[in-house]
Order: sequence, then structure tokens, then C-alpha cells
Amino acid sequence: MYNWRKLIDKLFTYIVIAVSIVAISPVIHLIITVLLNGTMVIVKTGINFFISLPPTPFSKDFGGIAPAIVGSLLMTFISLPITIVLGLFAAILTTEFPKNTISIVIDTIAKSLASIPTIAVSMIVYTIIVVPMKSFSALAGSIALTIVSLPYAYTYFSTTLRSVPFTYREAAFSIAMSRWSTVLKILIPVARRGIATAILMTLARILGETAALLFTAGRFRNGVTISPLAPADAIPLLIFDFVLSPYEIWRQVAWGASALLLLSYMIIFFAVKFLVKEVKL
Amino acid sequence: MNLLAVEMKNVNVYIGDRHILKDVTLKIFNNTVFVIMGPSGSGKTTLLRVINRLIDLIEGARVEGYVKVLGFDIMKSDPYELRKNIGMVFQIPNPFPHLTIYENIAIAARINGVAKDKKELDNIVRWALEKAMLWDEVRNRLHDYPHQLSGGQRQRLCLARALAMKPKLLLLDEPTANIDPVNARKLEEAIVSLKDEVTVIMVTHSPYQAARVADYVAVFYDGKVVEQGPAQQLFLRPSTEITQKLLRGEI
Amino acid sequence: MLSRKDKLFFMSLLPLSLSLLAILIISIAVIGIRSIDSISFFGPKLYTMNVWDPEAEVYGLLAPIAGSIVTSVIAILTASFFSIPLTITIAEYLKGSTKNIVSSIVELMGGLPTIIYAVWASQYLVLFLKQYVMDPLHSYLSFIPLFSCKPVTGFSVLAAGISIGISITPYVTALILEAYQSIPSTYREACYGIGATRYESIKILLSLARPAIIAALVLGFARSLGETTIAVTTIGNSMNLNLCLFSPSYTVSALIASQFANAYLYPYAESVLYAGMLILVIISILLSLYGSTTIIRWRSRVIV
Repeated sequence: MYNWRKLIDKLFTYIVIAVSIVAISPVIHLIITVLLNGTMVIVKTGINFFISLPPTPFSKDFGGIAPAIVGSLLMTFISLPITIVLGLFAAILTTEFPKNTISIVIDTIAKSLASIPTIAVSMIVYTIIVVPMKSFSALAGSIALTIVSLPYAYTYFSTTLRSVPFTYREAAFSIAMSRWSTVLKILIPVARRGIATAILMTLARILGETAALLFTAGRFRNGVTISPLAPADAIPLLIFDFVLSPYEIWRQVAWGASALLLLSYMIIFFAVKFLVKEVKL
Repeated sequence: MNLLAVEMKNVNVYIGDRHILKDVTLKIFNNTVFVIMGPSGSGKTTLLRVINRLIDLIEGARVEGYVKVLGFDIMKSDPYELRKNIGMVFQIPNPFPHLTIYENIAIAARINGVAKDKKELDNIVRWALEKAMLWDEVRNRLHDYPHQLSGGQRQRLCLARALAMKPKLLLLDEPTANIDPVNARKLEEAIVSLKDEVTVIMVTHSPYQAARVADYVAVFYDGKVVEQGPAQQLFLRPSTEITQKLLRGEI
Repeated sequence: MLSRKDKLFFMSLLPLSLSLLAILIISIAVIGIRSIDSISFFGPKLYTMNVWDPEAEVYGLLAPIAGSIVTSVIAILTASFFSIPLTITIAEYLKGSTKNIVSSIVELMGGLPTIIYAVWASQYLVLFLKQYVMDPLHSYLSFIPLFSCKPVTGFSVLAAGISIGISITPYVTALILEAYQSIPSTYREACYGIGATRYESIKILLSLARPAIIAALVLGFARSLGETTIAVTTIGNSMNLNLCLFSPSYTVSALIASQFANAYLYPYAESVLYAGMLILVIISILLSLYGSTTIIRWRSRVIV
């Protein structure tokens, strides 16, 4: 009987590990194919990929995704700081006053907000910003991006601030520091790596978000605009439009853009890993 | 001039449902070393935190009774102003890890307006480190970080930080509990030498330590003051059974 | 015991912190208000019929809603098939740097922009599934209604479900792993103490974690309901409603993604789409709150 149990144990181990390997393989395949297909396109076009406009459906030349790159950067530039400030303030509030009703409410709200589908955010911002403005815009896109990433930024910040050992807060108060001084000069610096991680993770989320931009940014790819009030393009948006199109050249561009997005994401990811390793408290 | 640094009358402290301090009445005189002795869990740490209102940070804490610190009724005063006159050293050394040795002390001095320019700051840092008996060991490494110091040195750094505020009252919460004996002795020496400038209130669970440094002693058990008085008297002729048990090491 | 300065500090933080509350209220308000028109005009038929004909002004959201639910069910089955073994492998069989590497891969998967999953799924996974899963199932098991239609392109409810399932696997794995690892080691020691093999101990620990695992699956379900980009690129986008898993269909978010831009041309179209989203949002929020409170309650029971 003992051998039977041992046999099942071994069998179980093999099955579990085998399934785990299968679980990871899609993503490995994904990374390899996206990078292969995409870098081929980028290498063929060279620097033009970053500075030219997208090709017409039947052209032979890949063109470039400059409007999307500029649009993504512009919208990130607008929404990231806003998200960080709002998220940080809320996280400071709930960390400093943990049993207060408002803190509990904010926590619950963050969870609920995170479960709203991002396309709904796009619809909402369309109704309250795009329609009154009578135009799509980078601003509307940025607002949608802020709404989508705020709950996550809040959660990352609040986890980080909560992990600062209580004794440092006691020490700060014992030398008569005011509440704001304690937060700015002690808590945030002590938590700085966690905060940097939070900012990077929020950045990654903003860069990769597609659905929130569908009805807000406007997909303007005939030129490069830097005005926040004008319609704009974004990398994920371009990929979304081009990958579904019937034109082969556009699908190729979509691969190139995907590779760019994937690489950016992986750089951010490894930066975060590197930061986290360095904690020495 | 008020002779009393701290005066407590019928103080009760609750944390949530638990009754931590029960009807505590104490008198602590200026420029003395007052030691609070007792087994763990007797409420000594809470008592200290009432004095500088650090107990505000604890969820569900309630303080009832009369507490006068340095002439102020603490329930009617602004805790941030109150704390400018009270320094504290904690059980586990907690120097700010992101600041250098120099900055740890300087920040305390600057916040409390004790020093205004670089020169005054340098002087205060040196003075505080000398009083904490750490100056000789770190004079050439003021820009090192606390994690490069030993545990005992870190604790003396915390003492220096507390002193840089030029406080009138110094609270010490089992300061040598996590330090090796050699450093502990150094710390005790430093504490006793401070008597002229500050009033020292120290919590310990070691009667031997109390015997070494105390002018006055209060014995705590189960949140109540069991006995208090001049140290010599208490050690020679303890008047309660609990004190006797404590001195014999039975509790 | 808050002093005046503490209260001022609280007040200074309040306005910006309440932004989260304001956003939630505005969001739900807009969705609700914009749905009212079509719900009051079409009544419950809006949800029980299946048609999308803006010209004729006839609408019925049955296919997309059914599609959303079925794809999410498939997604969560896929995710549980992968997450539970993955959790066990990471928690029990790996140590040191391999453990770090595998965990990091899972984390990487988790934050990957879904549009990249969508691109890969639509260009590779759909074809793979058609060739190796759908065609064989159809040839041999077509008497089962689920497999009864012939897969034409592969874009289908099944493809969407599995693609979304793969994309939420890291999320679900992270939740289950956290729960599994927070079981106090005394329970594990107890298992080995009674002479259980590793397999038997894992079974016991998993059953201990069962409420948390179910909650994780519920949260994963809520997330896949809202998934848009992967759905649009793999489901085939047609108002098809039948039992077969191999036929193209719609999800609510895919419908919205395809039709919302032109919806302003027709009087009720936008409102209908909002009405569809309303259902989705209500279900998502309820499931999310249920899922997270279950995990919190489980945690306080187990981590005594």
C-alpha cells in the first residue's frame, strides 16, 4: 500500500509541473513571436519607423508610427503626474488615518473602480468630455487614462506607505515633527523605492491601455500633433486598428508597434525588479 | 519654577476594551532620574507614551485623568508644541535610515529651532554626540549611514538625536533591552550624566539597572503603581510583596 | 484624540483624496442615466432578444450578454486549469532562483498590455486552436451540441474564452498563491506530522484555501467580463446566438468596441450600448466586492 501512495505522489508531481510548463509557454511564445515579427519590421524601416507617418493601405513602404509615439508620450505626460498626485494623496490619507470611515470608503471605492471595464471609462469620458468639446482630444484620452490607472496607483502607494515600520513614525513624532513634515521628510523618503516602483507600474499600465482610448483620443494619424486639445493617436490604439484591418502592410506595422510596446513594457518591468532588489531597511 | 516635571493624578488609560493603566498617581521631580520598573505587560511603555502624547498614534486609545507635564495640562495643549520639550529613546533603535549620522541629529535640532546656521548646527551635533558618549567613535564618519553602526552605537545615536532638541524631559523606553552589555553600560553612564540638564524618566524591567541609575523608583504591576519613592529606600526596605518579588527576580 | 493640527492635516488631504469617490459616482451616474432611454423604450426585451439593427431601430442584446458570460466561464476554466498547478509548482516544488525566475515570469505576464495578447491570440492562437482543438472535436464529437458547428475561421467563443483565460491566468495565480502562502506553517507541519505524502498534504492545504480559491476565480471572472481588446480580436464579432462554441459571436465589450463610434447616428443605439454596459458594470462590481470580502474574511479566519 505504501508504494501505491508514493506512486500517486510522483505522478502528481509530474502532472503538476507539466501543466505549469504548458501554462507558461503561451507567454514565452508570445514574447518570441512579437519580438521576431516586430523587430523585422522595425529593422527594415530603420529610424523612419519612429519619425514617419503610417503608410496608406497599398503602399510598399512601412512608413512609421510617429503620431502614435508622440500621442502616447503626450497623454502619458499629462495623465501620469495627475494620477500620481491623486493616488498619493489618497494613500497618505488612508495610511495616516486608517480607522477613519473615509479611509475605509476610499479603499472600497478603489476596488470597485478597478472592476469597471476600461471600455466603460471610454464611453463615460466620451459622453462628458468629447461630446461637449465637440472633438476627440489627447486631453480626453488623458482623462480616461487617469481614471483607469488611479485605483491601481492608489493601491500600490498605499501598500508601500503601509509597509514603512511604525517605529519611524514614532521617532519622527518624538522629535516634534509636524504631520506633513513626517510624511514628506521621513515616510516618503524611507519608502522611496516602493514609491518609485509604484510610479513605474502605473506608467506601464498607462502606456499599454487600449480600450480607454477607443472613443476619446480620436486616432488622428495623418500628422503629428502636440496640442492636448486636438485629436491624437496612441501606440496601443494604432495596434488595435491595424491588426484587425484587411491590409497586409498595416498588419505588419501593427507587429512593429507591438514589439515596441512590448520592449518598453519589459524595460519598465526589469527596472522595477532591479529597484526592488535594492531595498535595505 | 515648578519643581515637578511630571504630575499624574488618577490616570486611567484604555486601548480598545483593555484597561492598561489603572488609577495611576505619580510625582516626578525636576533634574532627577526616575525609573519605572516592572515586569513586561505592566503598562510601563504606555505610561511613557502618555507623557509625550505619542499614545495619540495608537488606535482606540483613551486617556482619562489629570496629567501635567512641564507645567502644561497635556490634554489641553497642542501635542506638537509639547513634544518640542520632550525627547524619547525607544526600545529598538530607530535612527532614520535614509539620513546620515549628522543629518539624523541635525534634523531634530533644525525642526525645533535650536540651531539656525551651519556653524550652530555643527556645534549642536558635536555636543549631542558627546553627551551620548558617541562622539569619539564617529567623529570622522559623520556622513556615514546608521546601518553602518552597531546596535549599541545606533541607540546612542538615537539618544544624541533626542538631546539635540535640547529637551527638558527625556523619556527612555527600555533603551538597553536590545543592546550588548558593554554598550549598555556606556548608555547608562551617559544617562546619569544628563541629570543636570534634563529630567530623565526611564523604563526598565531590570531591577539591577534601576539600582544603578535611579534617584526615584516607581514599581508597576498590572497597570497599577504598586510602590514609589526614593531609590535607596525602596531597594533597602521594599514595602510590598510585589516589589520584593521583583527584586528577587521572581517576576 | 485628534488635536487641531491633526484635523487640519486631515482636511488638507481630503479634497484630492475624494477624487476617487467623485469619479466612481460620476461614472455610475453617467452609465445609469444614459441607459434609461433605451431601457424605458424597449423594456426587458432589450435583454432577451437578439438583434442589432440600428436602421430599423430594433435592438436586443442577448447574444453579446450570453457571449460575455460564456467566454468568461471558459476563461475562468482555462485560468483555473493553469493557475492551480502553477501555484502548487511555485509554492511547493521550486526553491531559490528558479522560484524567483518563474514568479517573475508570471508577474511579467500579469502586467503585459492586453493588446499584445490580442495581437498574438488573433494571429497565432486562433489558428492553433482551430487546427488542433476545434477541427478534431468537430470531426469526432459533433453530436454534442457544443461542438456541432463547423469551425470556419476559428474566431469563436471558444477562442476568445481561452485567449482571455490565458491573459488572466497570472492575476488568478497571484491571488491563489498569496492565499496559499499565507496559510500558517503549522497546518503544513500538521500534515507531514500525520505521515501524509506531499500530494496528500497539498490536497489538504488546497481544501483549506478553497474559499480563497473560489474568491480568486470570482474576481477573475469579473475581470474577464470587462476584457475588450482580446475579445474583439478573437470572437468574430457577429450577433450569432447558438450553443456551439466554435461559432463566432459577440461580447458586450466587443459589441461596444465595434459599434459605439457610429452609434451617434441612430437615436437609441448609444443608449442601448450603455444599457448593455450597465449590466456588465453591476455584475462586475458586485462580484469584485464579493470576491475581495471573501478573501479578507477567509484570511482572518485562517491566520489566527
